[in-house]
Amino acid sequence: MIRLSGLLLLACLLEAQPKDPYIGSQACRACHPAQTQSFFRNAHTKAERGCESCHGPGRAHVSAGGKKDLIVAFSALSSRKALDNCLTCHGKDWSRNNIRHSAHTQADVVCSNCHSVHQAATPKHLLAKPQKDLCYSCHPNVQSQFSMPFKHRVNEGAVQCADCHNPHGAPAPTWRMGQRPRLQQHAQANEQSCVQCHADKRGPFLFEHAALRVDGCGSCHAPHGSANPRLLNRPVVFTLCLECHNGAPGFGRAGQGIPTQSASHNMADPRYQNCTTCHVKIHGSNADARFLR
Amino acid sequence: MRRLLLCLLGAAAVSAQPAFAQPTVAPTPQRAGDANGEDLAGYNIVNSLETGYRFRSVDGNLGKYRSDVNFGNGLRVLGSYLTINSKKPGSGKLFDELVLSTQGLGNDPYQFSSLRVQKDKLYCFDSVWRWMDYVNPALPIANGQHGIDTTRQLQDHDLVLLPQSRFRFLLGYSRNQQDGPAFSTLQFPDGRGDEFTFLDNVRRTRNEYRLGTEFELLKTRFHILHGWEYFKDDTRAPLFSPGPGANPNDTTTLTRFRRDEPTHGQAPYWRIGLHNEALKTFTFDGRFTHTSGQRRFVVDELAIGTGRFGAAQNRQLFAGGNARRPVTTGNLTLSWFPLERLTLTNHTALYNTRMEGEGSYGEFANGVAGLSLLNFQYLGIRTFANLTDANLKLTRWIGLYSGYHFSERRVASSDFSDADPPARLDRAEQTNRLHSGLLGLRLQPLKPLRLSLDGELGRADRPFYTTSEKNYHTLAARAQWKTKRASLLGRYQTNYNLNSNSLFVHSARNRVASLDATFNPKPFLTLEAGYGHTHIETVTGLAYFSLGELIENDRSFYRSRLRQVRLGVQLQMARRADLYFGYHRIQDAARLGRSLMDQAFPLTYQTPLARFSVQITKKLRWNLGWQHYSYREERLAWQDYRAHTGYTSLAWSF
Repeated sequence: MIRLSGLLLLACLLEAQPKDPYIGSQACRACHPAQTQSFFRNAHTKAERGCESCHGPGRAHVSAGGKKDLIVAFSALSSRKALDNCLTCHGKDWSRNNIRHSAHTQADVVCSNCHSVHQAATPKHLLAKPQKDLCYSCHPNVQSQFSMPFKHRVNEGAVQCADCHNPHGAPAPTWRMGQRPRLQQHAQANEQSCVQCHADKRGPFLFEHAALRVDGCGSCHAPHGSANPRLLNRPVVFTLCLECHNGAPGFGRAGQGIPTQSASHNMADPRYQNCTTCHVKIHGSNADARFLR
Repeated sequence: MRRLLLCLLGAAAVSAQPAFAQPTVAPTPQRAGDANGEDLAGYNIVNSLETGYRFRSVDGNLGKYRSDVNFGNGLRVLGSYLTINSKKPGSGKLFDELVLSTQGLGNDPYQFSSLRVQKDKLYCFDSVWRWMDYVNPALPIANGQHGIDTTRQLQDHDLVLLPQSRFRFLLGYSRNQQDGPAFSTLQFPDGRGDEFTFLDNVRRTRNEYRLGTEFELLKTRFHILHGWEYFKDDTRAPLFSPGPGANPNDTTTLTRFRRDEPTHGQAPYWRIGLHNEALKTFTFDGRFTHTSGQRRFVVDELAIGTGRFGAAQNRQLFAGGNARRPVTTGNLTLSWFPLERLTLTNHTALYNTRMEGEGSYGEFANGVAGLSLLNFQYLGIRTFANLTDANLKLTRWIGLYSGYHFSERRVASSDFSDADPPARLDRAEQTNRLHSGLLGLRLQPLKPLRLSLDGELGRADRPFYTTSEKNYHTLAARAQWKTKRASLLGRYQTNYNLNSNSLFVHSARNRVASLDATFNPKPFLTLEAGYGHTHIETVTGLAYFSLGELIENDRSFYRSRLRQVRLGVQLQMARRADLYFGYHRIQDAARLGRSLMDQAFPLTYQTPLARFSVQITKKLRWNLGWQHYSYREERLAWQDYRAHTGYTSLAWSF
């Protein structure tokens, strides 16, 4: 009853004011205390028009006693409209550069699916849950990969999904055929994200291992996690190498096949079954074309 | 008032949600102190600091445990959290917001801290610091002698000046440092010699400086940034007396060895972005980057020992030169909204890289000049990609998605060497095109239910590698039921790639299926369960030498049957105590192969955990946790381990 009287009084006062569609954040407090009480902690508190910066002009909404369709309610917006609203301010950031073409946007996953402005679990990026839990909630198979014996330390908190991925939409990859993988962050603006940390593998080298530059690190490694040491795609090294170095015609730089191993290598002898024992600089070498040093 | 109380209770319940997907037992997700904080001098402060003791007991292979888990004994700051916010926006003197969180400081192998400080309209500073201790004790499943025990320190600092104005200034600094001992190998005295392990002292540093601006002009937002990256690798193998070689029957010896191989270089880069949302029916994003990178290198190596027949051997080699890799990219995304429910996007990408370098190589064997040669290498990759996608929302509950993607890649290389006179220059070039089509259906027949089906079909004409994608397809289905109290997610995906010609075959198939559920039957109880399996099967043609004979018709098989089970129960008792039980198990159930080329790696890895956290006073919590790691593989049982780890800690707020 008290609330109703307050609203009526507020509505009468508003009638006497000039018709500015904006009413100010103070008016929101009466009906939305939970959202406004701790809002001083929120980065959006800096927005010029307070609540109305995101929710649009609120005078008509208040005058109508809180009618839902007279205010921008994100829960009722289509995914595209929700994205449009956020990009009004956040479009300028470099990380949002390709957001309209992002695989997330194409799948109707937009800002409000991951970010919670009013009930954020992380004050820094206003994520609805801690980052890894948020990503796992839709990608549970990735969670199992990060629980493998060899893995990047995401569950341990040392590495985050966003270190390698740009969930807002990365440009086409500069490796493989430029179509996949999607949403992969580019290191130093245009290189595969792995070299951001593994700087020694970046090169340039006098003798490049073309596989890295042409098809990317994923040619040999499973980046999330693996049962195999060094996150390799195979449990032993030699099959990984021989699957490409088999001389099959039509492949390689000149279409004559990727060179087979030397005749001096006897694969029946265990000493030849771990190629990287001798080919130590397999990511690229400055001294030896066969990556021996 | 009732509504206010309900809202506050709701917010408290949300903040009390357990941090699921938390396979490491510590730090404790529950914090000490009042979530609403305390007011002091115009600021609101929330803080919690958790300090405790971790213990471990390992039965089995300690090296493998350290490689996989690596938590040790000792005291540490398991976690901390601090936020300071000015109560009135913009009223803080030096800052309006400060957020600091840390994890594992002092003794954990994975340490992390994150800081944000900002003053409205003036500055915003973000900083992340990470420290990782990684051990890989040359595990024999790699058949390797390449052990590593290095620490890596990563730092990223970014400062934005005038963050809310039309002109923003960006400054940044990143540092990546890797130090520590490692073992590598060398073959001596030549390709028919033995392999010897030697000690490497790893010292790598990467520094990156950034300077840029963001501004708005003609309703278009611009981002311009220039960065400078400096890299130094001063890894060296000091004078060392290696032990016996890897092959006991080989009579070769290496008595002294030393190698210096410094590599220094820089990679300055530019990035320019633009974004325009001025029109309601049309938007565009542009992006241009250029990175020019170069590395100067020297290799100086000395090896002394005896050859196969006992004669003294010494080898000294020297290599030096320069390598460069300029990379340029251009991207343009056009988005058109001809109808309220229809979005068309087109992304065009152009990527060009040139990798080239020249170097000299000289070798002395037993004091006599041997090999001396000059090398020049060039590898160029130019990729053009055009990706067009359409998204149509037919009704509120049904949507369609389709796309056509095309890309063309040209790989060119030149290889000059004067090793075998006359000097030789080999050139090669090939072009590869990929066409792919995508189709998707999105359904939301009920508000809590979302269904999606996706498919992709791709055809490449001339893949570079035998394992690259050629004729591939992907099918994915997904169903999610999500309400405030329960969520159920089912997912299935299959990928198939066939890359074959008349003489060779590579076929790879993987299938992933999973079902995950979370249920909150009561505000104090949360249940979580998940099951997933991943089946991978590949077959690839092989050619190799065995006993001097070329084997051309063999194939490698690889099978993996991963099964994953995940369970979690979170119970809150009397609003003061939290109890969590979790269990995670991964099993590769593939059968061991019958031949060398028939590969599988069956293993079981499980980690049950339990954690108890009780609020002693309003500002103090006591936590206790235990986590067991059990690793068992079928191929090499001596690598198995069982480890009990745990911790006890106090979390307090002050």
